[in-house]
Amino acid sequence: MHVQKKLAVAFLLSAILGGEAAAKDITIGFSWNQKESSLETAWEDYLKSEGKAQGEAAGVTIKWIFNVANGDPARQAANIEDLINKGVDIVMARAEDSAAISASIKAAKAANIPFITFDRASAGAKPTAHVGGDSYDQAFVAGAAFAELLKSKGVTGKCIELQGALTDVNAVNRSKGWNEAASKGGITTVIQVPTEWNPELFRSGLTNALKAKPEANCVFAASDFAYTAIQAALEGAGRYAPTGDAKHVWLATNDLLPAAVKPMEEGYIDVSDTWDAYRQAKEAIRVAIAIAKSEDPKCAADGCLAKGRLVTPQTIGTIDNLWSRDYK
Amino acid sequence: MNTVKSGLSASAVLSRYGFPIVLASVFVFFSVATRSFLTLANLDDMAHDMSPLIVISAAEAFVVMSGKLDISVGSIAFLSAALASLAMRDYGVDPIAALLIALATGGLLGAVNGAIVVALRVNALIATLGTMIMFRGVGLELTDAGLVPLPEKVRLLGNLSIGPLFVDIVVAAVVLFTLDVVHRRTRFGRQIMAVGNSEAVASDLGIPVRSVIFRNFVLCGALAALGGVLTTLQVGAVTAYLGSGLEFNAVAVVVVGGISLFGGRGNLLYSVTLGALTFETIRTGLNYYGANPYSYRLVGGAVIFIAMYADALKRGRFGQNRNVLVRE
Repeated sequence: MHVQKKLAVAFLLSAILGGEAAAKDITIGFSWNQKESSLETAWEDYLKSEGKAQGEAAGVTIKWIFNVANGDPARQAANIEDLINKGVDIVMARAEDSAAISASIKAAKAANIPFITFDRASAGAKPTAHVGGDSYDQAFVAGAAFAELLKSKGVTGKCIELQGALTDVNAVNRSKGWNEAASKGGITTVIQVPTEWNPELFRSGLTNALKAKPEANCVFAASDFAYTAIQAALEGAGRYAPTGDAKHVWLATNDLLPAAVKPMEEGYIDVSDTWDAYRQAKEAIRVAIAIAKSEDPKCAADGCLAKGRLVTPQTIGTIDNLWSRDYK
Repeated sequence: MNTVKSGLSASAVLSRYGFPIVLASVFVFFSVATRSFLTLANLDDMAHDMSPLIVISAAEAFVVMSGKLDISVGSIAFLSAALASLAMRDYGVDPIAALLIALATGGLLGAVNGAIVVALRVNALIATLGTMIMFRGVGLELTDAGLVPLPEKVRLLGNLSIGPLFVDIVVAAVVLFTLDVVHRRTRFGRQIMAVGNSEAVASDLGIPVRSVIFRNFVLCGALAALGGVLTTLQVGAVTAYLGSGLEFNAVAVVVVGGISLFGGRGNLLYSVTLGALTFETIRTGLNYYGANPYSYRLVGGAVIFIAMYADALKRGRFGQNRNVLVRE
C-alpha cells in the first residue's frame, strides 16, 4: 500500500511536471515583410540566440517558423494566415504595410493567438503588444552625451539639426529628443534643416546651412543612413576633418548604420546612439515569454520600446552585438 | 482689336510675367532678409543643386510638349544609377563604362514606356505610373533597398569644378541648350509641338506620330538616367530614396515655368530655367532664413497652385482669343 502510494505520488508529479514542460514549449511564427539586407539577418540571429538564452532562463523552449513576404502586403497576409493555420503559439510580424497588417492582427485574435508587431507599429487594429525602438530616447541620449563632450572640450555648441521626414513619428520624436537634450546641455540649435529623409536634401540643406550660419560648429543628424551626403556637404565647405583637426565639425548622429561605422572609427562622427537590432530582438523575446506565460509584458502606451546604446569612437570596437559593424 | 487691347491689360501682363515677377520678389526678399544668400558662392551652390533637376525637367518638358506625361523619371533615374553603381562595385566596371550603362539603361526603360504608350495605346500617365512602381521595385531588389556607395575616386567627382563652376552645372547647361536647339531648330522639335497640338492633325500632315512619341520617351529615359547619375555623384551613393518624388518635382518645374500640360506650347530654355530656379530659390532661401521646417511644403504647394492658376488664366485667354479669331 505504501509502495502504491509512492507510485501514485510519483505519477502525479511526473504528470504535473511533464504537463508544465509541454506548456512551456512555444512556437513563434515570424513574418518578415522582406529579408534583403544584413539588418534582417542580424535580427533573426539575435532573436534565435536571445530566444535560447532567455528561454532557458525562463524554462521555456522556443521554436521558430520564419516566412518572408518579399515586400508584398498581400503575400504577408497569406503568410500570417499560414502561421495561424499551423497553430503557432505567438505570431510576430514586421509589417510591410502598417495599415494592411490590421487584418492579420484581427485574424490572429480570432484564432486566440497573441500577435506582436515588431519594429513597425500597426496603424489600425491593436496587437497584443508592439516592440520597437525608442526614437525619442535615442536622440536624447545622443544629445546629452554630445553636450557633455562639447563641454569637456570647452566648445560652445552651435549646431545644425538635420531633421528627418516630419510626417514620420520617429523623426519628430528624434527632433524633440535632440532639442530637449541640447537646451539642457547648453547647445544652441542655430538652424533646423528638413530633409524628408532624402539624401539630396541632406547634402544641399547642410551646404546651405553651413553658409547661412558660418558660426555653426556642430551637426546633429537624425539618421546617418545618408552619411555620404553629409560628408559631401562638409567636403564642399572644406570642413570635413576628423576630431582633433581645427576644421573638424562636431558630429552627433542617430542609428549608427553601416555607412557610419567607418567614419566613426576614423573620428569623423563623435557620438551616436544605435538603432539597436540586438536590444529590440531581446525585448521582443522578453515580451513573447511574458505573453506565453500569461503575464503582463508591462509595455508603455506606445509599446515596449527598446532603447539604443551610446557609441563613441572609443567604444565602437568593443561594444557587443553591434549589427552594423558585425554584419556586412 | 478689342481682344488685342485686352491682351495688353494688367491681368495679361500678370499671367504672362507673373512668375518672373514672383521669382524676382522672392529673390530680393531672401537677399535682404539673410546675410549670405546673395553671394556668388551661394548662386554657384544653387546651380549645382538644381543641375540634376534641370536635366530631368528638360526631358520631361519634351514629353509634356508632345501632350504626354512621364511620371517614371524618378524610378528610371534610380534604377539606372543603381545598375551603374552596382556594376562598379561588384564587377569593377570602369566609371565611363558605368555611365554608358546608366544611359543605355535609361534609354531602354524609356523605350519600354514608349512601346507601352505607342504599341499598346495605353494612356501615358497610366503606363508610366505602372512602370514607375515596377522600375523602383527592380531597383530596390537589386540594391537590397540599401546604400550603394560610389568608389572613392568616383565619389570625389561630385564636388569637381572647372574654375568656379561645378562640372554638373556645365553638363546641365549643355543638355538644356542642346535640347532647346533641338526643340526650336530641328524637324524632330517641330514634330513634337505638332503632335502636342493635335495628334490627328499631325498625322494628317504626314508626321510619324507614333515614332515621334516613342523617340521622345527614349530620350526622356536616357536623360532621366543622366540626372540620376548627377544626383548620385553629388550624394556619393545610390540610396533607395534616389529619385523619390522627382517625377512630381520635374512636372512642377515644367508647369511653373509655363509649359502647358496640354502640350504643343512652351519655351524650353526659359521655362525649365525659370521653374527650376523658382523652386531652388525658395528652398535655399528658406534654408538660409532658418524657416520653420513645416513651412517648406506649404510654400512649395502654394507656388504650384499659383502656377496652375496662371496656366488656367493663359489657357482661358488663349481660348478666348482663338474664339474671337474664329468668329472674325
